[in-house]
Order: sequence, then structure tokens, then C-alpha cells
Amino acid sequence: MKILLNNENQVIPEPWRQGSLLFLLRDYFGLVGAKLGCGEGVCGACTVIVDGVAIRSCITSADSVQGARVETVEGLAGDGGPLHPVQQAWLDHAVPQCGYCQAGQIMSAVALLRENAQPTSDEVEDAMEGNLCRCGTYQRIRAAIHSVAEVKR
Amino acid sequence: MNRRDVLRAASGGLVAVIGLGAAVWSQVPVLPKRPAPTAGDAIGWIRFKDGAYELTLPRVEMGQHIATALKQVACSELHVAWDKVQVQLHDTNLPRVKATVGSESVAQFAEPLAQACASLRVAIKEGRDHGLVTVTPRPTSELSAFKGEGVVGVSPELVQGRDIVQGRPLYAADMVGADMRHGRVLFAPVTTDVGSRPVKWNAAAAKAVPGFVALVEEVPGPRGHTVGLGIIARHPDALSQIAEALAIEWDLDSAPDILDMEAAIDIDKALSPTGLKNAVMNDPVEEGAWDGSFRYDFAFAPHGQIEPRAAVAEWQNGTLTVWTGTQDAFYIRDELADRFGMAPGNVRVQSMRVGGAFGGKVLCRAEVEAAFLARESGTRVKVQWTRSQELSRAYHRPPSSHRVRFRLSEGRLTDWDHQQMSSHIIFTSAGIPAWMQAGTNLAAGDPGVARGMKMPYQVARARASYDLVRLPVHSGPWRGLGAGPNNLAIECTIDEAAWTLGADPVEFRLRHLQDPRLKAVLQRVAESSGWQGHAPNQDSTERKGRGVACGIYKEHSYAAVVADVSVAPDGTIRVTRLWCAHDCGMVINPDQVRAQCEGNLAWSVGLVLHDGLPVSNGGVVADHFSETPIPAMPEVPKMSVNLVERSHAPSGAGETVIVAGPGAIANAIRAATGMRPTRFPVVPSEFAL
Ligand code: FES
Ligand code: FES
Repeated sequence: MKILLNNENQVIPEPWRQGSLLFLLRDYFGLVGAKLGCGEGVCGACTVIVDGVAIRSCITSADSVQGARVETVEGLAGDGGPLHPVQQAWLDHAVPQCGYCQAGQIMSAVALLRENAQPTSDEVEDAMEGNLCRCGTYQRIRAAIHSVAEVKR
Repeated sequence: MNRRDVLRAASGGLVAVIGLGAAVWSQVPVLPKRPAPTAGDAIGWIRFKDGAYELTLPRVEMGQHIATALKQVACSELHVAWDKVQVQLHDTNLPRVKATVGSESVAQFAEPLAQACASLRVAIKEGRDHGLVTVTPRPTSELSAFKGEGVVGVSPELVQGRDIVQGRPLYAADMVGADMRHGRVLFAPVTTDVGSRPVKWNAAAAKAVPGFVALVEEVPGPRGHTVGLGIIARHPDALSQIAEALAIEWDLDSAPDILDMEAAIDIDKALSPTGLKNAVMNDPVEEGAWDGSFRYDFAFAPHGQIEPRAAVAEWQNGTLTVWTGTQDAFYIRDELADRFGMAPGNVRVQSMRVGGAFGGKVLCRAEVEAAFLARESGTRVKVQWTRSQELSRAYHRPPSSHRVRFRLSEGRLTDWDHQQMSSHIIFTSAGIPAWMQAGTNLAAGDPGVARGMKMPYQVARARASYDLVRLPVHSGPWRGLGAGPNNLAIECTIDEAAWTLGADPVEFRLRHLQDPRLKAVLQRVAESSGWQGHAPNQDSTERKGRGVACGIYKEHSYAAVVADVSVAPDGTIRVTRLWCAHDCGMVINPDQVRAQCEGNLAWSVGLVLHDGLPVSNGGVVADHFSETPIPAMPEVPKMSVNLVERSHAPSGAGETVIVAGPGAIANAIRAATGMRPTRFPVVPSEFAL
């Protein structure tokens, strides 16, 4: 069973196929950016992009992504390369507080901006509604997303 | 099953069935030690080696960005560039530092660190390159950091910010590896006051789950009379499947002693003509007719942090190492040493970045569970609580019930009486047994419950008092302790007093305030929001209103907030705009002080609209995050934060705005609807047309 993970072909070994994509990424591949928050699709801390769509990896089974293209926050910037514009905007706006939700927030924002380079405020709210942040960084997340859209314009 | 069987092979892996015997440790809980830091301590925080500086952070980093602020202090005082100082998180080999609680990190740690850095700078200049430097404290006015030089007063890139946006391992649960085993200890979902143990379970079904490694019996829980059943698995996903397959039946020593918690703390049943047992303000206030009398009730409320607590434990040659995202690594170390009968020097606790704590990650729980399972399995074990465990086993903000009454004369408040029933916060029932709490009740009441009850308004006669009931759920510290609910009750009542007189609520407050810093933040927020009164504006569909509130946190930080809300015909409340003014004295990092204000404003929305944890029959009945909602992006409106900067010593910013945000929102709801919110979280249907 194979996946294209951050642009590299990877094989999912048997014992990991039955479990969730989240733990496959974290515990087998060591990609720990996606986090366990609620474990039931409510908080968005585990968000990764599968075939272009931001999904909740905690409620996605590993075997369901067979053959898919999976992107995690670790794959956004090339090795040692510059940060992805969304990551850079997150730093410029000093978005993270505790930071635990932020990989998920960034992946939702990346998926949104790929789909829609100039989202309206309402479209941003709709796309980000499922990514909760208890630290309350929403105002900065909005600003960071709009700043990336602005640069693309 | 024979509980004394040790390690026998079975199909599907090694099965450890281990009898640890009854808990043997002392019934006296280990209590956190809270020494104030000195300049002498601080020399252990900063080192110079091979031309570079290493700052070992004497605080826990949980999103308040104290790592950034203290690095700013160090760079400023050492007179070096930002990239010359590397920051690392501490472990318990550092001389003990107190828990990271109470928004006091800058107030208490910036100056000792600056003193140490100043002495280190001089020593290096004198040509020294090894050995311990003696700190010679100098007047604060001679410290570069306190003169606002260098990177103090600006906002450099966040320490660990680059790691966060790239998803690098920072948190306890991020420790992974092929040799890691995953553990969970299942306990009866009741308070630790009730003795409980598993009596029956389906071990065969558990062993059949792929990835099963072992069951560990008789894992002692907190306080010795609770016993859990531990499970160890090769894959984290297997844990929940094993837990389900076990279908454990629990034996409880008794039912919870209080089934109806709301009734147990009903303020109107407790109200006393002479005030309740613990007085915070104690002028003689006479009974008789009141001009206003308002009751406020607050639900039991979880912290709602996104990171469930996690710990990794490893034993090697009789020493124990634990990695954990806790607010007090030293307390965890002491408790682990106590539990396992070890010298504290043989236990090392490494503090990891915390994915949100808000007062909720002080006690030692996941750590002791991981350590037990690791000892029995001989491997590294990671324990990360499920959301359900977070809700049923952690401690939460206690529910509280308040009555606030006032009298007016000639446009002024003359009499004030605030009485409150609640449960313990500082002397949390999750850590302090009932017998010990009986002592703290007598000696100290609970300063956490009292926090914020001393209101800042000048009134001829003011009384505030409270009493405590030990509830059959775990209550404890939550952002701001009592200050959120207490100030909300106060600010709603002040608002009602202004309504009674037909006075402008800003002007009415100013009329009763003396503290110049509090007056200044109130005036500042009135200006920045263009305050022109409550501005109720009824149009055909939405009712709109504006509210204001202000307050002082821990007698040294000041905040005022203005809120706009809009209420739909069905009672749905939206907060549409927030303005805030904040004064915490001298500011090291203005952008991060703003970030803390923004976070507290989001918490204010949550406190009014959402924060609650369902309870029934004396226990928590919620299992899912969806049952304890926190504000999502569309619920948190645009906010403007205005910092009133001062030369006063820096105080704290992590909790201040919680004294004003909720009151402003509640007062805006009152302005919009004509109805005073009195239950928190509010019940929208009560505001339906
Ligand atoms: S952990 Fe997946 S949505 Fe919360
Ligand atoms: S930054 Fe802490 S939960 Fe979002």
C-alpha cells in the first residue's frame, strides 16, 4: 500500500493500515506537526491535505488514503528552503501562542488559498471555522491569510 | 486471573499481568513549593560558552511567549544581538523555580535575569571565561533592560515560532520512535474522593486487538484508594479499541455525597445577614431594603485547551526521566519521587512546550501513569489523555453562585454586598484531601475563589464574602481563578446601578473610582471605541447594544473593555466588536502583551457564551469536545487593543483582560435586549423575542 507523502513515495506497513492517518503520520513517519486535539473531527488540530483537500486525519483511516497525495506542514517548505508564504505570514503576524493548533490552521489556510487565491472575509471564516484555537489567535490568522492573498494579487 | 503472575507469554505479544500491591505512599499530598526567584538563582539560567550565550528558561512556555520576553531581557542586558542567545527549556537539574502560574513571569523573573546578565557581561569584559559569576545587584534604573534599551520594547521573531510553523517536535506527545509504547490507565469516571477499582474485564477480547502489548493491573491512582487498569499497546490507535474491548465493570466505595451541585452552592440558601464565612471586604452593611439585588450563576467549566496532557517516561538503571508539558516540572519531580520512593535526584523531569494550560496543568497525573507503565513494561511509554479523560479526570473552574446587592443615595453607591458560594480553586479538591481542606478552609478560605471580589469602586460600606463546598467533581485553577466570574458579577451589578440612576456607565464608574491607572484605561477605551452610551439600537431583525466594564487584576494590572453585540430574534448572541485598553506597567514585548489581551478577549466571549461542562448526579457526564464548545473563528470579532504604557515595574498580562471582557459583553447584551444575563454560559433562548 503506497501514498505520495510530501512528494515522496512511501509504503504503509501492514500494522499501520488499520489505524488513523494521524498516528500513521506522527508515530510511523515521525511527522508530528499534525496534532491530536479531540480525536473526533471537531478541533482541526490534526488537519492535513489529501488530494488537495484539507481533512481531519484523526478520523481518516490510513487505508483510505491508498494511492493519495498527502501533504503535511513539514512538506510546505523544501528541506532547508525558505518558508512557504503562509508559514512566513504566520511568523510575520506572530500568530502562534501555544502553537498546538497552528499546523492544522496553516494547512487549512494553504488549502483555502490554493483553491481561492483571493478569498473574501466570509470565505475565510467558512474555511477556517473547523480549526479551533483556545488561545484565541483568530484575529491574527485572518490577518495572515489576507496578507498572503494581498501579495498574490 | 492470578494477580501475582508476572510476565507470561501469550499469543499476540507479551502479556504483563503485574500485581503492584496496594498503594503504599503517604496520604499527605506532595504540595508545590513556590520560592520567589532571586538574582543569585538567575546565574544558573544564563551561561556563556564558546562565544555564545545559553538561556535556560526558568519558566514554562505555554504560549505566553515568556521565552521571547526573557530572551529580550537577556539580549538587552548582555548588549548582544538576537541570534547570540540560544534558549532552551529547563529540566529539574536547574535549581528549583516556582510553578508558571498567576501571570508573574515578567514581574518576578525579568529583573533577576537582568541582574545576572549584567554581572555576566561585566565578568566577560574583565576577561573571565569560566567559573561561576557572583551577581552584584544594581539599582533597576541602571539595568539596560529596564531602561528599554536594545530589543526591549520591540517585538522580535518569536522563540520557537519557526519550529511551530514548520511542525517540528516541541510538545511532550511529539516524542515518537519505534521503541515507544503507548499507554493509558483507565479509572472509574468519578471523583478521586470515592474509592474505586475495576472488578471485571474481558482480558481475552483486549488481547485480541492488534497492537496489544500488556495489561497492567492495580495501577494506583491519586490518593491511594482509587485503582486503575493500565493498558500498553504498540500503536496509539489500539488503546481505545482495547479500552472498549475490556468492557470494565467498576466497583465504587460509595455514591457521590452531593448529587445536585447547583443546589449545594445555591447562594440564596446560604445568604447571611452578616456575610459568609470568609470576608474579603468587611464593612458593616445593614440589612433592609436594597435598591438592586442580582443573582449570577456560573457553570462548572473546563479549560478547553487543544492539547490533552501528555507525558513520556523512561527508566534506566533505577533512574526515571519524564518529558511533560506541565506548569511545574519540579512539583511533578517531587511527586514522582514520592510515589516511587526515590531520591529526587534520581528523577529528571524535562519540561516541554505546553499546548495550552490556562491553569489546568499543574497536578501530576499523566506523568505518574506513564512512569508506572514504563516501569512495568521496561520500555519508553507515552501517555496522552483522551478528551474524555480530560473532561472526567482533570480539574476545572468551579461552579459558583453569587448575589450582589446595592443601595444608592444622591447618585452614588452607598452600600455594597457581594456573597458567593463556590468550590475550591487554590486548594483544589483534585490534589488536597478533604481532611486537609478542612484545615485550609479554617486557616485561609481559598484565595483563588476570593480573587477579584475586592471591587475597586469607592462605596461607603462594602462587604464581600464567600463560602466553600467540597463538590464531588474536581475544581481548581482556571485562567484568572475567581477573577473572571467575580468581576463579571461586579461589573454587571455596577451596570445595573447605572441603569437605575439613568447614568452613563462610563461616567458612573469614573464617579466611583480613585485609582488613576484604572481610570486611565477606562477613559482610553471609551475614547478608542467612540463611547456614546449603551447605544441600544433596535432594528427590525437584530437587537444591538454596547457595554463597558473595567477592573484590576491582582492589584497591579488594569483593563477596560467595550463590546458590541447583536442579538437575533431567536436569542442567538453574536459579539460583533471589541475594544480593550490595558496597563501592565513597563512592557517588554508590546505585540505579545497585545496577543495576551486578544486571547483573553476570546476567552471573554467563551466565558459568556459557552464555558460549561455538563454534570449530572454528582459527576461529569460529557465525553466529547463537542459537548464543551469553545469559540470558533466566526464568533471572535475584530478587536482593537490599546496599551497604556507606563514606567511602573512590569506586572502581568496573561489574565488581566478576563476581569473586563466578560462584563462588557454581558452589559452589551443587557443594552441590546433589556434583559440582564444572570446565568453563564447564557442560555440564548432566554433572549428570544
Ligand atoms: S484531533 Fe482531529 S479534529 Fe480534533
Ligand atoms: S495557539 Fe494555542 S490553541 Fe491555537
